[in-house]
Amino acid sequence: MSLVSALFLVFVAAVLLLYYVVPKSFRFWVVLAASIAFAAFLGFYTLLFVIVSAVLCYIGGFLAGPSKNGKRGNAARTAATVITVVINIALLCAVKYYNVLGLVSERLNLLFGASEQANTFFLYAVPVGMSFYVLQTTGYILDCRWEKIAPEKNFFKVLLFSTYFPQLMSGPMNTYANLSAEFEKMKEVKFDFSRISDGAIKIAWGFFKKLVIAERAAMVVNMIYADHINFTGWYVPLGVFFFAIQLYTDFSGCMDVVIGVSHMLGIDLPENFNCPFFSKTVKEYWRRWHITLGAWLRDYLMYPVLKSTPLIKLGDWSKAKFGKKNGKKVPTYVALLILWFAVGYWHGGLWNYVIGSGILHFIYIVLGMIFEPAFKKIRPKIGADKLYFRIFQSVRTFILMLTGFVFFRSASVKDAVDMYAAIFRKGGVALNWTNFSASGMNLSNLIVLICGVLIIALVDAYKYRPSEDEEARSFTGMLRSKGIVLLWAAFMLLVIATLVFGMYGLGYDSGSFIYARI
Amino acid sequence: MTREEIYGKLNEVFQDVFDDEDITVNDATVASDVDGWDSLEHINLIVAVERCFGIKFTMGETTGLKNVGEMVDKIIAHLG
Repeated sequence: MSLVSALFLVFVAAVLLLYYVVPKSFRFWVVLAASIAFAAFLGFYTLLFVIVSAVLCYIGGFLAGPSKNGKRGNAARTAATVITVVINIALLCAVKYYNVLGLVSERLNLLFGASEQANTFFLYAVPVGMSFYVLQTTGYILDCRWEKIAPEKNFFKVLLFSTYFPQLMSGPMNTYANLSAEFEKMKEVKFDFSRISDGAIKIAWGFFKKLVIAERAAMVVNMIYADHINFTGWYVPLGVFFFAIQLYTDFSGCMDVVIGVSHMLGIDLPENFNCPFFSKTVKEYWRRWHITLGAWLRDYLMYPVLKSTPLIKLGDWSKAKFGKKNGKKVPTYVALLILWFAVGYWHGGLWNYVIGSGILHFIYIVLGMIFEPAFKKIRPKIGADKLYFRIFQSVRTFILMLTGFVFFRSASVKDAVDMYAAIFRKGGVALNWTNFSASGMNLSNLIVLICGVLIIALVDAYKYRPSEDEEARSFTGMLRSKGIVLLWAAFMLLVIATLVFGMYGLGYDSGSFIYARI
Repeated sequence: MTREEIYGKLNEVFQDVFDDEDITVNDATVASDVDGWDSLEHINLIVAVERCFGIKFTMGETTGLKNVGEMVDKIIAHLG
């Protein structure tokens, strides 16, 4: 069941109706039943996977946590943690990849561009984004081991934490401490018209992003990426630019739907995007793009690696060798390399993801760290506080992101390298309106796309401006402050715009969310 | 060790890690108050504090500290 389908909206309406009609003490069961039903809609193997993984998560958390009588020592708890986390991740690999046994050797082949082989090899057995699910449940086991939380005694609470239907397919990732605190609110939350309207406008905003913009941008992206032998020169940066628009509106639109639905239930989920394309640096970009993934990997991967004895020893050695200031950065670079490899690998397991969403960003961030002291010295001389420099920084960061998107969207590293080569290759399809519009992007489509992108840019610019008050920074908050009439007028406009300009309907196959395939 | 004594040593650790002799911290100090205290430098700070006081923070404590006041509470708890 796609999150941008009429079926999903009917499903949500039914859940909301039941949720607010039954006694408050039954709401937990309504949401749990809805979550299990949603997983079942996604397929039998998905349902089986999430239940097996939840059982594992429950047992793992119990064994990883401290025992009441203190008989279970640290070694036993660590062993239980390692075993259950490894099984959890192995389960993901087993269902996500068609053939795990030949994985390592095939990966080596992929490095040299065996894209067709890769596509047949890495067949997705489970059609939803179980990568999100596994990270979240793994986080629960680790939290129990690190005593951030006490292991949950009630299995059904763990089951709901791991299967909560709005976020099952694409996140945002959450910790048990945060999500269970939100679930507790179900006992108290009253039907509130403003909550429903806030959720509705968020969902409408998500639909608008996905159906009006992402699906439209995809037309150009699909045409150029499918045939970069002929679409050369400026077509390549154009295709990558449109892909950036597609990916952002696709994933953030998905998050808007998820957060909006959950908000209607009185369960608030963390934002996953915060105006990423206004970022001044790559480091800042990753604090604004897929925020919950970054936070998860920081807390559960990078910090433990940096605090490990080998890295601390490496730090001591490098400080003695290179001096305190430079030496302390060495273990940081090593941890960052591990982190970014993991980010890239998590995105799809292929080398084009490892490079485009991982290693390339590692290089940009480390270079930024190396040159930061020198830049600080010349800041006043180049007018770094002026608006023109501020714009330059955002454009530069955006272009750096595009260099990674070339790999991200390509089928293999070889294809991505070919794309780069195609920029300089002559003799391809001439860049003119007739050839460009062959993608389906006629003038009216282009005008709708440009207007849509401008609206998103304005809303993001409003949100990006510095303000202490979180509510004042929110566009919905601003609309609400002007009165409920304006808020509903905006909602109706979004619905009408999506109905009129959205890419959907009979005969049109709206692509699933890109990140739901991860 | 009293809270004041802990703050005396803690100020030295902060000054050393962030390379700024003017830093003084208190219960309400948070990461955004100290230039350079980002997610990467946080671990360098934690390791330096552990070494200074001869203690070991758990991962939960490492990632869950809200301000310096909480850090001092944890140090006192570890020192027993």
